[in-house]
This record gives sequence, C-alpha cells and structure tokens, in this order.
Amino acid sequence: MAYPGPVLLKRIPDDPAQRELIRYADYVASGGYAMLKKSLTMPPGDIVKMVIDSGLRGRGGAGFPCGTKWTFLPKDLHPRYLAVNFDESEPCTFKDRYLCEYDPHIMLEGIAIAAYANSITNSYIFIRGEYHKQFHILEDAVKEAYDNGIFGVKHPGTEIVHNCYVHKGAGAYICGEETGLLEALEGKRGWPRIKPPFPAVAGAFAKPTIINNVETLACIPYIVENGPAAFKAMGTPSSAGPKLMGISGHVNKPGVYEDELGIPLSKLVEKYGGGVKGKYKAAFHGGISMGVLGTDQFDAPMDFDIGKKYGVLGLGTACPTIMNDTTDLVRMTRNCIRFYAHESCGQCTPCREGSAWAYKILNRMVEGRGKTKDLDLLMEIGLAQGIMPGTTICGLADGTNWVIKTMLQKFRPDFEKVIKSDAVQGVEVTVGGVSV
Amino acid sequence: MAWIAQNRLQPLEPTRAEPYLTDAIKQKISEKYFPRYPTKRACMLPLFHEVMHTYGFIAPQAMDEAAAFLEISPSEVQDAVSFYEEFRFDKTGTYVVNVCRSLACELLGHEKILQKIRDVFGIDPGETTDDHKITVLEVECLGACEFAPCALINEDLHGPLTPDGFVKTLQSLPAEAKHDASTH
Repeated sequence: MAYPGPVLLKRIPDDPAQRELIRYADYVASGGYAMLKKSLTMPPGDIVKMVIDSGLRGRGGAGFPCGTKWTFLPKDLHPRYLAVNFDESEPCTFKDRYLCEYDPHIMLEGIAIAAYANSITNSYIFIRGEYHKQFHILEDAVKEAYDNGIFGVKHPGTEIVHNCYVHKGAGAYICGEETGLLEALEGKRGWPRIKPPFPAVAGAFAKPTIINNVETLACIPYIVENGPAAFKAMGTPSSAGPKLMGISGHVNKPGVYEDELGIPLSKLVEKYGGGVKGKYKAAFHGGISMGVLGTDQFDAPMDFDIGKKYGVLGLGTACPTIMNDTTDLVRMTRNCIRFYAHESCGQCTPCREGSAWAYKILNRMVEGRGKTKDLDLLMEIGLAQGIMPGTTICGLADGTNWVIKTMLQKFRPDFEKVIKSDAVQGVEVTVGGVSV
Repeated sequence: MAWIAQNRLQPLEPTRAEPYLTDAIKQKISEKYFPRYPTKRACMLPLFHEVMHTYGFIAPQAMDEAAAFLEISPSEVQDAVSFYEEFRFDKTGTYVVNVCRSLACELLGHEKILQKIRDVFGIDPGETTDDHKITVLEVECLGACEFAPCALINEDLHGPLTPDGFVKTLQSLPAEAKHDASTH
C-alpha cells in the first residue's frame, strides 16, 4: 500500500475557496491529454492489457474488472458504443458530480483513450437530469474537446470517426442500472433488461456496448502514464488504485476526498472528514444499497472485500454517510425503503410489491403501531427479492434486501424498542377492508 | 342506480391551433440530435427536455405531435414520457422547488425545511402557492449530500439549508424566473 497523493483530484485544490472549473487550456497546461497522445501511438490491444493488469475494478458500485469487461466485445463487430454512466443517483453518492464540476476533462480523456482502445464509434455520456449545472459544464467541455480535435476524429489506423455526445436523463434512479440506462438512451422507459444478452454483445441499439462509470474512466490516463504496477501499488491485492470517497452525514467536514482503497472508514473520517459529530453509531459505507455497518464495524477497510468480512453487499460507491447515536435508525430504514418503493421501475413483482409492503410496515413502526411479527415479516419480504435470491431482473431489489437485512441483523434492539414502547397492540388499521 | 359517465368523445384538453412542437424546436432537434443516434426515437428525452423547458409541462397534444415527429405511435411516446420524474403533465408555478428527501438530507433535517414551508407558504409537497409562484416537491437524492439538507430551485442547487434561511430565499425570489433561452 503506497499512496502517492491525489490522482483523480490532483488538479482540484483542497481549499474550497480556491476551486474553479478547469477548462481545456489549464487542463493541457497541467499535462492533460498527453496520455491520450501517447495512447494513440500504442496498439489498442496493449492499452486493454494495461488496464487488465492494473487491476482496475469498476467504480460505479459493482466493482467488475474494467479491462476484462472490455474484452467481452465481440471481435470485428461494428459499430460499438461506449455508454458513460453519469447517472449517479445512489443516495449518499456525489463523487462523480464533484469530479466533473471542477475537472471534466479527466473523464473526457479517459473516454477518448477507452474509445480508441475498443474501436468505439459513439460515446454517450448519460448524465442524470438533476445535474443541471454539471450538464452545462460538461457540454462546454465536450465542445472544447471537439474544437481541439479530441473527439470527431478518426481512430488512427481505422475509418471509424469517434463522436462523444451528452445525453441528459430525466429523473429515474433505475437509469443508473446499465440496461436501464441503455433503454433511456434509446428513448424508452427505463426498464432494465434481462441478461443475457449482455450489453457487450447486444447493448445500445442492439450493438455491442460497454458501460463504464465516470470515475473508472477517469483512472485510465493515470494507468497509461504510470503503468499498471504503479496503479496496483495503491490499495490492496484485491482492490487496486485510488478511490473517490464522498463523506456526508454527521461529520464536521462533509465533502469528496480521495485516498487509496483499503483505508479504514474510521481513519478516512478522521483524516479528511474532520471526525464524527457526536458519537458514531452506524454508517452506510457505500450508498444505501450496500447495507449498513454496525457500531463495532467503524474500522472496516474500504475495499472490495468489505462485503464478505463485514456482512454487507459490497463496497458500492465507497461514499460513506455517518450516523451518530442521536439517529433514529427505524426512520432511516423507512427512508431507504421509501426510496426503493418510489424508484422501483415496477416490472418485477417481488420488488414492486415487496418494497411497497416493507414501506407500509416501516410506516406502521415509525408511527408506533408496529407489531412483534412485523420484524419477521420484514425480513421475509426482504430476503425474497433480488438477483441473489433469483427473483428479479435487476439489483435494485437487492439493495432493498440488504438494507432490511443489515438493519435488522445489526440493530434489532432499535426496532424492538419501537414496537415495545409505543405499540398500540390489538388495534387493526384497515383501508378498504384490508388490514395495513 | 346512476352512472356518472365522462364524456370521452371530446379530448380532455382542447386542441390548440398553435403546435407545441414549433418549427424552431423541430429544427433544433433535427439538426442537433437526429445525427447523434441511429434511431429518431432516441431523441425522446432531448425533445421532451426542450418541451419542458419551453412550456413547463407536457400537454397530450405535445405528445401526439412528438409521435408524428419521431415517427412512432403516441402510446409509445406516452409510455416513455410518463416514466420520468422530471416530465410533468400538470402545470407548476414559476419556481419548482425540489427538496431532497433521501438519507443524508432526512438525517440532517429536511422535514424541518418542509414544515417551515408549510407554516409560511401554506403548501404541502406537491402543491403550488395561490399566486402560482412556488411549487414544492419532494425529490430523491440530488447527489449533493455534502450540502445536506439541500434543494433545487428550478436548476439552481441550494444547501446546506436552514428553515428560516430557505424561506427567506424563497420569499425574495423575483416574480419572473430568469429564463435561459438555450437549453441543451
């Protein structure tokens, strides 16, 4: 583990008062696009190999090896597309927004290198609709890139002209799911598709498509510049490289910071986040879908092994939200489940109905009408939904599942307290003759 | 027994002679967006962003016109458009205030913000003030958790909010929203 200092955030000052948008000229002046120039002199296959050897894993939440994903594109099938996932709607996550707000070109350089390495025809940057300011910044940055021959030019040695377009979303969490994103790109409702076929074979407009997260692509220039070994020297054996970590919640200095993978959460919060406000109780370490870390799990290392060691779904976006001991965890669980019930696209019954039922049960608990059997019922509903139990098309339901599971497993007394103290037992509340 | 039947022979909203998809909008979409995608249908989101930006809501007639323009059926247009949170069918006030209600913002007190708005303006989320100036909505994570609790007023992000501070901001909004003519 050897962290040389900011990689992705290297151009963005620590002092908020000094931060401003880094335009093309300043980006180039600080060494930007030099790695694109270097890449264009290398065989595309060499770049793919470098990315595989670097151990770069997807930074969007799933952590799938980036270089390996690129190799799934069928040889000699064209056109191929690159979809950049800038939908960033996972609650507690705001790292991609921060990066592009100040340094959009680092991602654009990553896109240009990835597009050359994979003979991409069109790259579509899918930015969520709510990022209005960042959308304008990105459009300006893409125009600067076109004006300077970064996009709209042929990949050397081919007849393929590479174009890069910004596609604005319109408010749907599920469009951050890779196949939901493809559907929204094609102008349809964002209903995820069943896999197989995988996007690398049949993706956008039924053509081979890779989908990569903003931060994943932003790592590419560094790998080209310093080689896979330098990238691998950061982090842990299973989790190479630097990571953007957006800290929020009960901390003194919320914001986006960078360190290497494997840094313990408590150290991250102390070193960058100004420490916890009050006494630590629980944390969502990587967006709500990963589930919650318990009171004795504050030292968990932020890497891709966190799932199996600490009983959570995975690392996720590695953007922690810290909750202190004044937090009502039953309310926070309700907040998460309300989110899933609202954002469920509605295709799959266990997700659509299950999240709505879980929301009703949690409402009952928050209002003091919880029943003892509610806890088992909640667990049963949660465990039944998701890709892991095999009952849904996409992983939104797994998020619901893991929030319920981890909250009940690690904080059961909080729920039992709500039921025992204010419970109005024996009073049935019905709506239209149905007990709720 | 009495049935109260709705007259469905007439459209719910009268058709207006002036099209929603003006020549200017159509030209912008065909010049800027058609070349980007292999299908016209893929221009659905850019087109309706333009419609929302121009009119602030989507009328049934606008969807019919879009269907003809994109060469697909009106039901396919409605299918897509009705899915997205930002595409609204009802009219809103001059300022659409989207208050984030996801984890970090609820943790740091978004309910107090909404209660203060209720106290001062007399509206719940989903409602508009009588003078049509402000519509308050609850929205899911805005991706600005370091500024929690936060909200969007039209396209501008505000945060971290305090109940009194935010109400003052809302009260001092000018009657006319600054309208950015070029959207996307």
